[in-house]
Amino acid sequence: MKFTTIKNILVSLVIPVLFLLSSCKIEPVPDPNNPSLDHLSTNPTKGEIQNLVTGTESGMRTDMSFYWHDLGALGRDYYHTSSSDPRWTTDLVGKAGAVLDNNTFYTTRPYNAAYLVVKNANILLSGLTNTKTSITDQERKVGIAYANTVKAYELLLVWNLQYDNGIRVDVANPDALGPFLSRADALKRIIGLMDSAYTDLNANAATAFPFKTTLYGNTAGEFAKFNRALAARMEVYNSEWSSALTDLENSFFDLNGDLYKGAYYNYSTAGGDLLNPLYIPANSSGEVNIAQTSFVTDAESPADKRLNKVSKRTTPYKTDDITGIYDLFLYKSNIDPLPIIRNEELLLIYAEAKIQLGGISNFMDATIALNKIRVASGLLPYSGPITQSALITEMLKQRRYSLYGEGHRWIDMRRYNLLNTLPNDRPGDHVWPQFPRPAGEPQ
Amino acid sequence: MRINSKTLSTIVGSLLMFPSLIFAQSAIRGTVSDAATGNPLVSASVTLIGTNVTTLTNAEGEFKLTTRNANEKLEITFVGYVPQTVDATNNIAVRLVPDNSRLNEVIVSGLATNIKRSNSANAVASVSSKDLIGTAEQSSVDGALYGKFAGANISSNSGAPGGGITIKLRGITSLVGNSQPLFIVDGVIYDNSSITNGTNFITKAAAQGSTVLQDNPSNRIADLDPNDIDRIEILKGASAAAIYGSKAAAGVVIITTKRGKSGKPKIELSQSIGSQFQLRKLGQRQWDAAKVDSAYGATGLAIYNANNGRIYNYEDELYGNHGLMVDSRLSVSGGNDNTTYYFGATRDDNEGIVKGTGYLKKSFRLSLTQKVTKNLDVSLTSNYVESQADRGLFGNDNTGASMGVGFISTPSWVNLHADAQGNYPNAPFGSSNFLQTRDLITNRELINRTTSGGTATWNVFRSSKNSMKVIANGGIDYYTLNTIGLFPQELQFEKDGLGTNGASIYGTTITRNSNYSLFLVEEFRPNERMSFRTQAGVTQERVNINNVISTATQLIGTQTNVNQAGALQPYQFRTKQLDRGFFVQEEFNYRDIFIATAGLRGDKSSRNGNSDKLYYYPKLSGALNIAEFPSFKSDVISQLKLRAAYGQSGNFAPFGATYTALGPTVFNGTTGSLILTTRGNSNLKPEKQVEFETGIDAGFFHNRISLELTYYRKRVEDLLLPLQVPASSGFTLFWKNAAAIQNKGVEIGLTTIPVSTKDLKWTSRINFWKNKAVVTKLDAPAYNTGGFGASLGTYRIQKGKSPTQLVGVAGPNDKGKIDPESGLALFGDAEPDFQMSFMENLTYKNWEFSALLHWKQGGENINLTTLLTDLSKTSADFDKKTLDPTGKLSNGDYRLSTPGASTFIQNAGYVRIREIGLSYHLPKVWFNDIADVKVGFSGRNLFNWFKYNSYDPEQSNFGSGAISSNVEVTPFPSAKSYNFNLTVIF
Repeated sequence: MKFTTIKNILVSLVIPVLFLLSSCKIEPVPDPNNPSLDHLSTNPTKGEIQNLVTGTESGMRTDMSFYWHDLGALGRDYYHTSSSDPRWTTDLVGKAGAVLDNNTFYTTRPYNAAYLVVKNANILLSGLTNTKTSITDQERKVGIAYANTVKAYELLLVWNLQYDNGIRVDVANPDALGPFLSRADALKRIIGLMDSAYTDLNANAATAFPFKTTLYGNTAGEFAKFNRALAARMEVYNSEWSSALTDLENSFFDLNGDLYKGAYYNYSTAGGDLLNPLYIPANSSGEVNIAQTSFVTDAESPADKRLNKVSKRTTPYKTDDITGIYDLFLYKSNIDPLPIIRNEELLLIYAEAKIQLGGISNFMDATIALNKIRVASGLLPYSGPITQSALITEMLKQRRYSLYGEGHRWIDMRRYNLLNTLPNDRPGDHVWPQFPRPAGEPQ
Repeated sequence: MRINSKTLSTIVGSLLMFPSLIFAQSAIRGTVSDAATGNPLVSASVTLIGTNVTTLTNAEGEFKLTTRNANEKLEITFVGYVPQTVDATNNIAVRLVPDNSRLNEVIVSGLATNIKRSNSANAVASVSSKDLIGTAEQSSVDGALYGKFAGANISSNSGAPGGGITIKLRGITSLVGNSQPLFIVDGVIYDNSSITNGTNFITKAAAQGSTVLQDNPSNRIADLDPNDIDRIEILKGASAAAIYGSKAAAGVVIITTKRGKSGKPKIELSQSIGSQFQLRKLGQRQWDAAKVDSAYGATGLAIYNANNGRIYNYEDELYGNHGLMVDSRLSVSGGNDNTTYYFGATRDDNEGIVKGTGYLKKSFRLSLTQKVTKNLDVSLTSNYVESQADRGLFGNDNTGASMGVGFISTPSWVNLHADAQGNYPNAPFGSSNFLQTRDLITNRELINRTTSGGTATWNVFRSSKNSMKVIANGGIDYYTLNTIGLFPQELQFEKDGLGTNGASIYGTTITRNSNYSLFLVEEFRPNERMSFRTQAGVTQERVNINNVISTATQLIGTQTNVNQAGALQPYQFRTKQLDRGFFVQEEFNYRDIFIATAGLRGDKSSRNGNSDKLYYYPKLSGALNIAEFPSFKSDVISQLKLRAAYGQSGNFAPFGATYTALGPTVFNGTTGSLILTTRGNSNLKPEKQVEFETGIDAGFFHNRISLELTYYRKRVEDLLLPLQVPASSGFTLFWKNAAAIQNKGVEIGLTTIPVSTKDLKWTSRINFWKNKAVVTKLDAPAYNTGGFGASLGTYRIQKGKSPTQLVGVAGPNDKGKIDPESGLALFGDAEPDFQMSFMENLTYKNWEFSALLHWKQGGENINLTTLLTDLSKTSADFDKKTLDPTGKLSNGDYRLSTPGASTFIQNAGYVRIREIGLSYHLPKVWFNDIADVKVGFSGRNLFNWFKYNSYDPEQSNFGSGAISSNVEVTPFPSAKSYNFNLTVIF
């Protein structure tokens, strides 16, 4: 009797207690090492919003060296060479027999980096939309417009690389990615994103961002000028010449202003920060940015100040049958900023749009802009024929020298179907029109 | 009246819990002793058959017991002896015969219960203290286990003093998750992490795409002193390990430390002294001017000529240190019927084969058991360890800083020695002067560790039919690991703008883990033929690891403080985990003929995507003892058991895989958050292992021959992989449960006593094991992993193939080996064809000889040491012409000119005398019978036979990752050692 009683007490008490203990709820352990996506996209604090902006702007620089080196090689501005990787001068330069691989760094890294920034901007966008921190509706709106401007710019970089492959624009939900849009549709969507952002920026021009940005200005009105500058570039790519001119009017375009005024990627030697990836001391070996020699030989005059963008080597550097007489020497230190977009390009966009719209008064306007650049570069004013085709040739030449090494030559030649006119250093070399769609994406 | 008084006495008896008193019966006394020596056996168990009445013998081997009626029988059992059943008569003297078959040892059956091996349905391996350390000196537990039981694949990641060992039980159990078994010491989960020391900053070994760190940290089971261990049980697969649920997919190693026994204090003093030296020397290339010219051109020739033919034996200078090994040990144990104690202290000092390397461990352990009341037993154990390991700098690197790389890139005619002022010249053909590196750097691990645990057992009641106890168990494992990496600025690879002008890498890891459990065990014997045993309980485990590494560079002068530096880069990684679970099990025994067990563990953990979801791990097993059938009569067969067991266990996702997070960035003088490229998956399930095991255990001629035969099949499902996803999502990888692997294997153990006479006894144990694995599911394209890419040989995870297949770029002669899908050739498999071990023990009068021979047949390694040596033209066999079938090319030129990866993937089979020992007990009369003095000689790895073209086929560059071992890159070479031992027991 007694045993049974004790047993019953134990069984009826202990076992339920045991199961009660085991059914105790276990709270999830939040990531002890990093802030979580969930938190930042649902209810970030003001400080965390700033962290997302800083992270986004920092991320915009990640792997941009691959973008520039890619476009440098394909546009025959300069060749990046490295003794530890031959593919810079084989695959990229289209050496006989070589192909662009869809799973190699030159294809995947700039692609991945741009979409990484798009993702971060989408987190910022979602954070701004959902946050319960005290920000005004105007602040929310212009903050979102900022995020959309950054997204559109990064998507344009991908569009530049992928071109006829088309790209995805709707990528906010990793479980339901949007479709691949055609080249034309994608560009339209990117411009649409820019325009809607501009509408909000313009409508709240006096509003300061609820964060600090290093890109361009800290009020919506100032930032809108950066937005319009990029939009003008996109409209030119889209051959919408009048729209480009309208965009320029609302941008920081200044016919008489500093050609280097604009938005930049910034670098520093601070611990953990990045250094200017295009800076390599002159006369280096191993890792060298070799200027394509025709940049010097094609120059209209040795007086062109823009020839100081290269520096003659003490001894030529020969690698993989490419001989470097000049080093790319655009940046004089490892913390020089690199341009995102600057006034010199806007002047050239102005000239291009005017030339394309045609008519003698437009041609004269274009000539004024081109001459601003020629004179600033130490050249005499333009004296060639005032015809559309002659002016296009002149405009493209000025773009080549003014925007040298900044990732434009290849895109410009492709826009004007002139890729076949780009020089080849070795017999059998070949200029690629675009990069393959990266492995991991539906092929 | 009579009825009333009987009822009354029943109640009184019940209250007093002396159920047997109600039957008027007699008390009997007896003694239990060892049949061979006549020594009394202390704490032998004496049970009245068919009841729960049990007593233990005292310090003189005596017991007393009260029987219920006449003609009862007693069963006397003692670990390591054949049990005996005798008639319960007064003044009986039982002499137990030592049992080498081990069929009667007790092994784990549930979280709170044990079972006799002869009744177990699982092939649980066990290693006794004698097996572990009886033959040779051992400084780490995991290294001491190899070859001693079937079913393990053990490799050392480095020969550096202080450990660093990978154990894989029954094949591959995970692709990227934890693949190391769970270690439990006296009920306390013993952390076995390998914690990075930050030297990757110097070597950049993991710089080019590889995320697997290669700094070869030691793993923390090295902290445990093998001398304190009484026995080890190894649950190799889920069929046995299901009781540990979600932590047990890689198996469980249960370690029980020594306890005191009642009796007068036993004092054991032992001292060993020995030496270790390089296991295999490769030699150096012999040079002449023509060879120098062809290898190093005019620059080399100038150095060669200037040196006037002087040659240095750098292999001897770097690896030729005869490391002194001094191990001192004291243990005191004893107690009385209520209290026992055990104290063990060890000082183990091993100097490495490279000057300046070594391992010093000091360990103290105190265990107490106390009978608090008649029904409450408490046992406590506490262990404090401090150790220092100086490990040098070896293995792969991308900067040439590793001493291994520096050594192979130095031809013997280059002088690297310091001048009279202590200034070292730069190595002309490498980026580091390895003599300078050896003499100036520090790469040290310091450990302070306390592990304490306790168990309380409350015998709630005990009657002839029922008994119940409550067992509470818990413990804390706490340690601080301090890693110190000092790389002074005068090093060749730090100065002149080559490095960072010196580096001081200071790491601190604080680990605090705890676990608790509370169990209720009830035994019920409805009659003499059958018994039921029920257990139910709950468990809780907590993990908290905080790893901080500060890397200081641009050092000020010779300062080493991290603030005496121009730049400081911090790193921190924390791991936090809370698990709760329950376990229930029912065991049924019918006359020891049929034994069945069914159990269920449920676990929830914060490591899972859904932290509050219970995952269930069932187990089911049955054993049939044919030899126990009443009708079974045989003089030959003493034991015949058929057994089968099924169980499931789990494995957590790597810490962090459930989180999608943003990492830190520095920009514009401030900090930002940028999304990380690997997307976490909050829906991750734990990896699940399902194992079925079946076998036959047989004993012949009173167990002089015993055979254990086991076949197992285990499937590991829901294996986690970071899968490539469209990069337009912003992510490149996404964690998913995406693969499955099946392992099948056979294990055979044969224990025999070929000779057993009064003076001479020979026992032999032979183990054979073989495992074959295949990837049965892969929801992703096949991919290469481990190693350094297909051109140098790599693992390839591919459906339908072994997960440890080694493939590589094909040469012109490898056409037949090419897999059409990948275009890569199959060159081998890291999994051995089979392994065998032979443990032989011979005693003749006072002499004892034992040896452990280990044979690993087949299994390939990726040997990149030879490649690097060939590239530096320093291979000892560079000029021999034994490889080229046309006889034209020298071995070095032939290997370098052979296209494809075939030359790197080499057979890593071996035969080695892993342990050998000879000891002699001095006659006791010399010491007036006060002391037992033993002198001996022992050796480890003294004899080796292998064709593998490097230091040791057992080494690996990558740590204890799931699929990454068997890749060799200029490691710290393995050592062999010998010791002279003296043991005095009072």
